[in-house]
Amino acid sequence: MTNPPVMRLSGLTKHYGDRAAVDSLTIDVPVGAVAGFVGPNGSGKTTTMAMLLGLVTPSEGMGTVLGEALEQPESYLGDVGALIEGPAFYPGLTGAQNLAVLATVAGHDPAAIPDLLELVELGERADDRFRDYSFGMKQRLGIAAALIGDPKLLILDEPLNGLDPAGVHEMRGLIGRLADGERTMLISSHLLSELEQVCDWLIVIDGGRLVFQGPAAELLDRSGTSIVVAPEDPDDLERLRGLLAAAGHEGRTGDDHLEIALGDSDPRGLAAALNRAAGAGGIVLAELRLTHASLEDRYLTMMNGENR
Amino acid sequence: MTRMFKAELLKLRRRRVAIAAIAGSLAVAAVAAIAVFLSASNAGGQGPQRGATVESLGQAGGATEAFSIGASFAGILVFVLFIANFAGEQSQGTFRTLLMRQPRRMGLLAGKMAALLAFTAVVLALTEILTVAASAAMAPSQDISTESWFGIDGLEAAAGDYATALLGLSAWASLGMALAIFVRSIPLALGIGIVWSGPFEHLLQDAWTAASQWFPGLLLEALAAGGTAEVSTTRALVLVAVYVTAAVSAAAIVFARRDITG
Repeated sequence: MTNPPVMRLSGLTKHYGDRAAVDSLTIDVPVGAVAGFVGPNGSGKTTTMAMLLGLVTPSEGMGTVLGEALEQPESYLGDVGALIEGPAFYPGLTGAQNLAVLATVAGHDPAAIPDLLELVELGERADDRFRDYSFGMKQRLGIAAALIGDPKLLILDEPLNGLDPAGVHEMRGLIGRLADGERTMLISSHLLSELEQVCDWLIVIDGGRLVFQGPAAELLDRSGTSIVVAPEDPDDLERLRGLLAAAGHEGRTGDDHLEIALGDSDPRGLAAALNRAAGAGGIVLAELRLTHASLEDRYLTMMNGENR
Repeated sequence: MTRMFKAELLKLRRRRVAIAAIAGSLAVAAVAAIAVFLSASNAGGQGPQRGATVESLGQAGGATEAFSIGASFAGILVFVLFIANFAGEQSQGTFRTLLMRQPRRMGLLAGKMAALLAFTAVVLALTEILTVAASAAMAPSQDISTESWFGIDGLEAAAGDYATALLGLSAWASLGMALAIFVRSIPLALGIGIVWSGPFEHLLQDAWTAASQWFPGLLLEALAAGGTAEVSTTRALVLVAVYVTAAVSAAAIVFARRDITG
């Protein structure tokens, strides 16, 4: 028997006046998933997360989080940690003091705070005031705050936002470490290449409506993997295209290569067939490789209205 | 509520806050005692409305007369501090961070308010003690006897003055909290609060003398003064209680139902 989803939303809607920020959103997030929450700016990601956290009241719809009703956030928020709309702490308090305040409010033991600060690599800056932290350090303190009480569900809204490349690298590593277990995570980000590296489940929304949800691999496979074929001599490109077309392999022409969709074919078999066709025409191949569409490619395709 | 009360106390128990509170108490005590004793006249009733006389300072309640006058001026300070605190929690997003950990909004608001009022009560008690000490130091300069200050009557007067001051400050604090919850922005809430309770109400009073019987800032001044010719203590107390109850209830409802965004 499969476990019930950690989060199940059904027809969740939030109206601000006539505008629907979130529109009939129905999503499931399975236990233990690292779920990427993707959508353009203003697509309703933060509003959805705010509804999950009891900060915003839904206009319509229902749902459960950790098996408890969405309209009773006090029944499940003890097992949820979150960072939403950026880290917000008391500027005059130190990092450790800020976490102590939150631990006390949540009814958790503040004794775990030093370990949390070590986990996010702020141990040596624990007694510095929040206002003196860099942006990356503030984000990491936000993650530490979300981890108070060892939550079963972690909700992170744009945790990579505003970080420099080194900060993104550190944060990606941290998220990877946090995801290494039974904890379920819901992470929104517009840095799709980063999400692709850490997420095994994806939810894509646009205009407040669901566009896709499911295993990340399923979304990436949908576009079909393709094989890139490039002749050694670029002048042979057009002739190669003709040869492959004659053999039944139509493809997209790039600057110096062709891209043949894999479809349902066996990758090795198709590669061999392409190689044979080129060889039969006396064309030497400089490149013959398998390529996968990135999450960004798939996302842009979806946002342009295809494959919805 | 209890957890939020404890969490707020964590913020208030810092050394920096303690030093600021003690320094503030010392300053109020010193300024109030010096001003009251140096301005005390022999002609009772002919000085300014709140002015102490040498005779009144020599009576049982003389020890805390400077405290009462000082505390009446502290109302606006408490008003401003509570506005800044509650509006700051909203504008800098810390209420959002707290609510993700403690979603019972009434409990959060009540716990925070209770902790801040408890802190105010402690600082006020310290201020009263320091003012009595400063008054005792100033008394010889005006040949005022302190003999009757430290008897039962003196203690009763001190307790009564403390209760009146705490009541007034709690009302200012509650109105400040409510205004901050409604407006959310620190500068806007401070602007509205200071302009309303300061110049606006006094201008109204100049134009319409009955204003002092109806407007909250003027009623609080009357309450702190132990009643005036226009407003009895009872009327001031009842109307202030009505204002505070209405403001706190409305603020609590708004806070409980509002979407927390930004």
